[in-house]
Amino acid sequence: MPEGTGALREVLPKQGTGGGHRPALPAQPAARSRPFSPFAGQLSVEDTAAMVLCKPKILPLKSVSLEKLEKLQRAALEAAQPPEEAPPPSAGAAPPRQ
Amino acid sequence: IQAAWNLKTRALTEMVYVDEIDMDQEGIAEMILDENAIAQVARPGTSLKLPGTSQGGGPSPAVRPVTQSGRPITGFVRPSTQSGRPSTMEQAIRTPRTALTARPITSASGGYVRLGTASMLTNPDGPFINLSRLNLTKYAQKPKLAKALFEYIFHHENDVKNALDLAALATEHAQFKDWWWKVQIGKCYYRLGLYREAEKQFKSALKQQDMVDTILYLAKVYLRLDQPVTALNLFKQGLERFPGEVTLICGIARIYEEMNNISSAAEYYKDVLKQDNTHVEAIACIGSNHFYSDQPEIALRFYRRLLQMGVYNCQLFNNLGLCCFYAQQYDMTLSSFERALFLAENEEETADVWYNLGHVAVGIGDLNLAYQCFKLTLVNNNDYAEAYNNLAVLEMRKGHTEQARALLQTASSLAPHMYEPHFNVAILSEKLGDLQRSYTAAQKSEEAFPGHVDTQQLLKQLKEHFAML
Repeated sequence: MPEGTGALREVLPKQGTGGGHRPALPAQPAARSRPFSPFAGQLSVEDTAAMVLCKPKILPLKSVSLEKLEKLQRAALEAAQPPEEAPPPSAGAAPPRQ
Repeated sequence: IQAAWNLKTRALTEMVYVDEIDMDQEGIAEMILDENAIAQVARPGTSLKLPGTSQGGGPSPAVRPVTQSGRPITGFVRPSTQSGRPSTMEQAIRTPRTALTARPITSASGGYVRLGTASMLTNPDGPFINLSRLNLTKYAQKPKLAKALFEYIFHHENDVKNALDLAALATEHAQFKDWWWKVQIGKCYYRLGLYREAEKQFKSALKQQDMVDTILYLAKVYLRLDQPVTALNLFKQGLERFPGEVTLICGIARIYEEMNNISSAAEYYKDVLKQDNTHVEAIACIGSNHFYSDQPEIALRFYRRLLQMGVYNCQLFNNLGLCCFYAQQYDMTLSSFERALFLAENEEETADVWYNLGHVAVGIGDLNLAYQCFKLTLVNNNDYAEAYNNLAVLEMRKGHTEQARALLQTASSLAPHMYEPHFNVAILSEKLGDLQRSYTAAQKSEEAFPGHVDTQQLLKQLKEHFAML
């Protein structure tokens, strides 16, 4: 982008060919005098075990046979209940005939 | 009139017909009193009873939930999926075995009788065919009627003894040349638990007429006899004669999965998909393998394919929601879970969905929401061990130590095969200074999952501590 380079040329000091020897990080002038140590200030390292969560559960899909079986079992359970209501009406119908 | 009778018989059978190849509810009595085991202690990798060393690799219990026998949960469940062969009677009673309720069935024939009586109830005028008054010899001589009648007796009335009598007479009448009757006799023997006789019948039927179904039945017999390697060889031979047959390849994959050899199982499921890329079981299993191997985006693709095929149930939307969340497609996550909740047919499914929603909440950092989700899980299913464990972890974060301990105790007693509650008890006790309890809990955790590095480190620490005393 020609405009961009033009703008940069204005901002940066005119260095010429000898400017290549300048330090690559002009923003950190004190980089050499104060070395950065990540461990300074840290007293000890402790690796405590944390409590562990149970894992998310992928639910298994059901096969067609399994679904049909479940449907049959449910129908059987429901069918087991109405016959309790069926006998009383038939018992009620019997005596009036006599 | 014979044609009408024939039609009605077959229609009634069709109502309750569940493919025998799949149908395989093993009752507790059969599991515990099993006398068919050939070797007292089987070599690893040759028995279905011992999950064996995880030769096939696959995700460890640190990432993938396990069932009671130590096998990782699969992507697909059939009537014959063994959720584990329990070692003690107590564990056997606790294992949910029926398709519907969580109460275990004591013996397989009990379940069948229930289905048979159901048919009696649906027919208010009494049974369509009165078996005690039936002259089996007469019917055995009319092969077409006999076949319909046999299927009716076997599936609708579940009267194996009469069915066997009929089949035996019919086979004699056909001079032992009809492979179909041999297969039916084999099925009767299988139901009655006479596996070696069933094996003989199926083998003789195979010699007469090579049929894929017969191979599948014979493999079932071998699996009941705890001979998975024989079954595998049978399938492989069958594949030579029926190259590319999806049911055989699928059978091989299932056996590998049962033996905990996940990588071979995945390979064979991929073969199935090469032959038939709408095979729901294969897609579901591969999808779940990818999810637990840290590849949720691929798992998402597989589950989306299932959606394309018209599978529309709670489990699929739950899985889609999980995959979307872990694949960072957050727009689809909550709507999938909403759909899953809507489609849930019973409380156990609802509990599962709330549990996974709790995980999503933990993932986004909303611990209050997570707490509520796990509580809702427990509302729907009071025995959800994982939810107790996770609630305990949340309580610990809030600092409620006593509540956490109580919840962990519930979790570990509900699910002694899971290592997480034991490990958490160990950590908790160690923090509070109760080192003895911590040590026993850590040992239980190691028993459940020997490969867990943190447990081993904890044990080492505790041992050093005790050695100093």
